[in-house]
Amino acid sequence: VLSFCAALIGFVRELDRRPGRGLMVAALLGAVVFATSGCSVEKDAAGPSFEPATPGTLTVATAFLPAPGFWQGVVHRDGFEAHLAAVLAERLGLDRVHVVHVPFAAIVRGDLGGADVALSQLTPTRERERQLDFTTPYLIDSPGILARRGVEAADAKTLRGLRWVVSRASTLTPIVMDAVRPSAAPLVVVDRTQALRVLRRGRADALLLDLPVALGLARAEAARFHVIGQIGDGEGLAVALPAGSRNAEIVDSEVRALAADRTIARLESRWLGNTDDVPLILTEG
Amino acid sequence: MNFVAFEAPSGTDLEFLVLFAVILLGPIVFTRLGLPGLIGVLLGGFAIGPHGLGLIAAGNETVPALGHFGLLYLMFVAGLELDLHMLKAYRGTAVMLGLLAFVIPFAIGLCVGFFALGWSVPATCLLGALFSSHTLIVYPTLRDAGLGGNPAVASAVGATVLTDTLALSVLAVVAGTETASGSAAGVLIEIAIGLVVLVVVGWLVLPRVVDLVLRRSGADRVARYIMIVVALLFMATLAHVFGIEGIVGAFFAGLGLNRLVPNEGPSMEQVEFFGAAVFVPVFLVSIGLILDPSVMFRADTLGLAALICVGALGGKAIACWLAGALRGFSWRERAAMYALTAPQAAATLAATLVGFQIGLFGTTLVNAVLVLILVSIVVAALLTQKVVTWLPAQAGRSRPLGENVLVVAPSTGPSDAAVRAATLLARPDGGHSDVIITRAASEPRPAAATLRAVEMRAFRHGFEGRFRTTVGELQDAVANALLTGDPSLVIVDDPTFHASPSHVPVIVVQATPPGADGVRMILDDENGDGVSQEISRRLAGGTLRSIRFRRRSDEALA
Repeated sequence: VLSFCAALIGFVRELDRRPGRGLMVAALLGAVVFATSGCSVEKDAAGPSFEPATPGTLTVATAFLPAPGFWQGVVHRDGFEAHLAAVLAERLGLDRVHVVHVPFAAIVRGDLGGADVALSQLTPTRERERQLDFTTPYLIDSPGILARRGVEAADAKTLRGLRWVVSRASTLTPIVMDAVRPSAAPLVVVDRTQALRVLRRGRADALLLDLPVALGLARAEAARFHVIGQIGDGEGLAVALPAGSRNAEIVDSEVRALAADRTIARLESRWLGNTDDVPLILTEG
Repeated sequence: MNFVAFEAPSGTDLEFLVLFAVILLGPIVFTRLGLPGLIGVLLGGFAIGPHGLGLIAAGNETVPALGHFGLLYLMFVAGLELDLHMLKAYRGTAVMLGLLAFVIPFAIGLCVGFFALGWSVPATCLLGALFSSHTLIVYPTLRDAGLGGNPAVASAVGATVLTDTLALSVLAVVAGTETASGSAAGVLIEIAIGLVVLVVVGWLVLPRVVDLVLRRSGADRVARYIMIVVALLFMATLAHVFGIEGIVGAFFAGLGLNRLVPNEGPSMEQVEFFGAAVFVPVFLVSIGLILDPSVMFRADTLGLAALICVGALGGKAIACWLAGALRGFSWRERAAMYALTAPQAAATLAATLVGFQIGLFGTTLVNAVLVLILVSIVVAALLTQKVVTWLPAQAGRSRPLGENVLVVAPSTGPSDAAVRAATLLARPDGGHSDVIITRAASEPRPAAATLRAVEMRAFRHGFEGRFRTTVGELQDAVANALLTGDPSLVIVDDPTFHASPSHVPVIVVQATPPGADGVRMILDDENGDGVSQEISRRLAGGTLRSIRFRRRSDEALA
């Protein structure tokens, strides 16, 4: 910077006296700029180059396998998050994606099992941000009510009368307690897997999930479940990285790029369907 | 048993509360510290954002959506505020400086991005656009110091039209090619067609349509403002149709309506009020949400910030010095040009945010650009303080004829001919008109409904200005106006009016005999033939084709 300033002053003086020589000084100035800058930073405008745990491979942690709509197929290569991982790997210059199964509780504790990123329908919260770095959300949707077949509700009063199951790990549990306010205390379980088991066995009527997740489960088990409505404001689902990861900036930039060029919208439309058709139920909270 | 149950505040109400608290307190605190209020709002955004207190969470959609509208609004106002008259009046120097102020920083940006940093071509081009744009933040200070008519200052103001248009065109191409899915050639053709459509619609169609609507319902100030906002959003949407960022459309909308919404007029007052009070601060807060001190104060961020400060500010310095040397301006005048073209704010923020949204720029660069904005504003502000002491104020600068047209009318209100003449004379200079209705002390105060009817009649003729009434003789009102020297031209709506020539041109509307709308000019020798011909040309170019012109240069005071 100092050499640039000195060159700038020299240039100005020379330009006043002899414009021709001033232009030569300008060329020198340019060289100084490059010399100065070349030493300072080595990164792309979108962030530092991605450094994978395994060379050439994007290792992705996820908790729910299979997760209808998100991770499906025999080798889990179909679904919204599976394809998002693939396009993300391509943009990061990696050849392949390797999926590892990590329990949800471990992921939110910051343990990705050695994976580069977690794509597991994760909502960023203050608490989770202490353990993980999150990108810009790739999906923002309202919570959806997954209910057993035969259970119906179209208003807040009927919703209150349902038997609810909630999971301790879910960020949607406070919405059930504050907005739905069930008449009977909800059944509390550890995570989504257990909550679904409770629902399947008929020990509860309804479970609150992110709407695309609820729709995916309803499609996968159409004989058991259906989505009766959506409530409240949208929550975001984001890619998670280990806290302090130097890859966070470039992955965040790539997620924004995939949103801007509508890749994410196309994947959402293909794998998660249209959420606009699900009726909105107004609650008091 | 609980009789009261207090709840922790949350939800949209709380978000709006903290948002507007920041908009209120940020500038108050920072201007007291001698720093620009803009920085206070940006840092306030950080304080309430996900990297600060977390009162506005990372997934929040409300503030970014409002901020996006604020960004469109900011670019619209940037186009609206540009002085096209200056570009026209000093076109030689302005075009040269405009091109140099674009090309040199852009070239430096390309070299820095491509060769020194090894960035991709799109990111490098956007960096070049970022370097080359600038915002006339210090112009009001120079204008108030009497330097508005200095050729160097005026050229720099005029040059901004060209520089920012070119910078935004680069932004349109980069953002369009990055977010489109077709072939590169197809996308470029689509963007080129889009830019042509934006120029044609913005320059030819939009002003006519808006003028038509304002003439029909312009007396209603709310409808007037909403029409302007609709025009802005229409152009932003039209830009999107061709895969161009909405801010480019908004900027072209501002340029297109530049003459229709004069800088000192009441419509601009409304536009600026809502912009300054809500939309632009919300945009700045939405930028502040991205601010991350853990990123900003890292060595690599500060290194990058230093580099782009040197590149952007150095590029502008070279351009100003070169343009000044070629035009024979003194080094003090070149410093004035530099003070005007150095600040990076509106267009720079816009280009940076667009780059961030499309994933081309990461948080490191965004934070580095915020440092550039702060440095450039501070450097320009300090330099401006010196410039106003270095350059002599130009008391007798030649003002555009239509800059501030005053219509002085009798108690019956202005005639259609007077209002039409005011519009025809003011609009080519992007000026505004005011009407003073005089009445004798013995006459009753006009009813609000009567005044409203007069206003509605005036707005049907494309009038853009304010009405006020005064008690006194018409001659006294004209004399007072000439004495203050505020108006650039006075139209007297009384055929019997007589006065001696002054430095302010006066034209008298000859409403009698009925059907023969003519004007009589009272001009001093200084104004002479040039002004007379210009008035004739402007009036003849409008609907007043039957106007007769008579020159009077030595009328005695009535």
